[in-house]
Amino acid sequence: MTSTPSADRWIGYLNTVLLMVAGIIVVAPTLWMVLSSFKFSHEVTAYPPTLFFTPTLTNYVSLWERTPFIQYGINSAVVTSASTALGILLGTPAAFVVSWTRITWPAIVTLLARMAPGTLFLLPWYLMFRQIDMIGSYWALILTHAVITMPIVIWVLLPFFDNIPRSIFEAAQVDGCSPIRVFYRIALPLVSAGLSVSSILAFVFSWNYFLFALVLSNSDTKTLIAASFNFIGEGSTNWGALMAAATLIALPPLVLAIIVQRWLVSGLTLGAVKG
Amino acid sequence: MASIRIRNLVKRFGNVTVIPDLSLDIPDHEFVVLVGPSGCGKSTLLRILAGLESVNEGDVYIGEERVNTVPAAKRDIAMVFQDYALYPHMTVRQNMAFALEMRGMSKAEIEERVQKAAKLLHIDGLLDRRPKALSGGQRQRVAMGRAIVRDPKVFLFDEPLSNLDAKLRAQVRAEIKALSQQLRTTMVFVTHDQIEAMTMADRIVVMQSGVIQQVGSPEEVYEKPANMFVAGFIGSPSMNFIPARMTDGEICLEDGVSFPAERLFPVRSQAIEAGQPLTLGVRPEHFLFAPDDPAAFKAQVSLVEPLGSDTLVHFTAGGIDAVARVSPDLRPKPGDVLPLIPAPNKVHLFMPETGEAIC
Repeated sequence: MTSTPSADRWIGYLNTVLLMVAGIIVVAPTLWMVLSSFKFSHEVTAYPPTLFFTPTLTNYVSLWERTPFIQYGINSAVVTSASTALGILLGTPAAFVVSWTRITWPAIVTLLARMAPGTLFLLPWYLMFRQIDMIGSYWALILTHAVITMPIVIWVLLPFFDNIPRSIFEAAQVDGCSPIRVFYRIALPLVSAGLSVSSILAFVFSWNYFLFALVLSNSDTKTLIAASFNFIGEGSTNWGALMAAATLIALPPLVLAIIVQRWLVSGLTLGAVKG
Repeated sequence: MASIRIRNLVKRFGNVTVIPDLSLDIPDHEFVVLVGPSGCGKSTLLRILAGLESVNEGDVYIGEERVNTVPAAKRDIAMVFQDYALYPHMTVRQNMAFALEMRGMSKAEIEERVQKAAKLLHIDGLLDRRPKALSGGQRQRVAMGRAIVRDPKVFLFDEPLSNLDAKLRAQVRAEIKALSQQLRTTMVFVTHDQIEAMTMADRIVVMQSGVIQQVGSPEEVYEKPANMFVAGFIGSPSMNFIPARMTDGEICLEDGVSFPAERLFPVRSQAIEAGQPLTLGVRPEHFLFAPDDPAAFKAQVSLVEPLGSDTLVHFTAGGIDAVARVSPDLRPKPGDVLPLIPAPNKVHLFMPETGEAIC
């Protein structure tokens, strides 16, 4: 069946409109957040919202003056980088083994762990880490965040490993490779795009994860996302500072995504389509 | 270089028995082709030799070593895969050197071997390319190079020509044959293409449903097929099978056409009892055009396939449909009647119930 040129043109218009609507829905809250970070607190909640205003850096200055923001940033970087590395370290061989053996239940278990609400783990973990005197340590946060990063790594990498023709692994075996060598000499270089995609996704999810850091950290190890909660008070909320903090927190994943945008998109599709 | 011995091999996948009980000897230096239709177990057998599939029962020996539990990496065999299985992230040089690196060979020796194999296969100009920058034929050569650079005990080929076009396939076929004569290494080649089997093999192993139907030289399996399966599988177009009966020294077809048995198979006709039902097997190339022979039957031409060097004629005679290969000079047309007769001593006889060849 073929469509007429005018029908094609209308479908093109419709696509453009739908994409614009989707773009507005996605970008509007971010834009509102960024603009609000340059407003005074009372302007943030003003109704109707003010589109034209005199920008101020007060929120950013107060963020620096009133909180150890750099320290929180370092904490976030340490926890996120380490949990991402741990997720990659454990998740990559796990995904390879699941793909190699075609035994999928371990992957499903990790997915269930990822899908379960964080509160399910929170109390047992709190008790466990308190027992071993690790509450407030980086390790408590890194280990718990690996529950978020590892399933992401496994499930992003699985189709990448599945798409490598099995005969390549078999050729490596015939060439004298043990299964471990097949993994790091053959399989790993062939899923480099998947590794970058899963690293970025794991980094973003860990960076933004709030709950574990709120409960398992202390003032020395508090992450940015948990620290931003300080601006929400019982009586009043410092919306301007909160928006400034949110803007700064959103920056690293955003910059990361922009830098590797092309790789990210091609990686996400390559994993699913046989080359 | 090594011989291969397989004794009472059984292979099952779950409840399905793919190879029920197989024994085979492949002497050192021999080029053996495993041939059979899809699902006959030939690739499974090759993978068992490679160590990529386990054995349920029986023994597999490479040389004097029982290799049932020896992993693929330790068998010192080389395998060329159907899809070549080149490492996409490595250059041709790295692909060929990989197995040697795994053995811990020195860089100088690796380079020497790679260069030698590359020259042999005319791929020395491609060594720094990645597989994606190669044509199908070049990839096939690299896969071969990766195998021969190792100087293994045994070469295994799993339908390596099936992804090539017809012209390239014929060329590579000849090259593999020449290579086998040059290298003098034991080679096991799997194919479903009987032309590949006939042209390359020292011996052909014809398989069906995991059972060896016949083992023999290409001439043996063509000229003396053990049963109707082998007779039908080897040769293109397939052998014609014609139901018949022996009566009073004559071979009678179902529709009254008859030939003097003495003339078709003078020796074997003695062994056939009168009234015995038979299946005649006549290859298309063994029908003779015999306009002056009173014993010739009249073949009603239904379809003509000119091949250039000769012409395939589909015909009907005596209630049967058959194919004959005739000279293109005859220029037959559909509807023509050709006087044909099976060539003396080229007619095969089979038992209709068992399919086994008689004598």
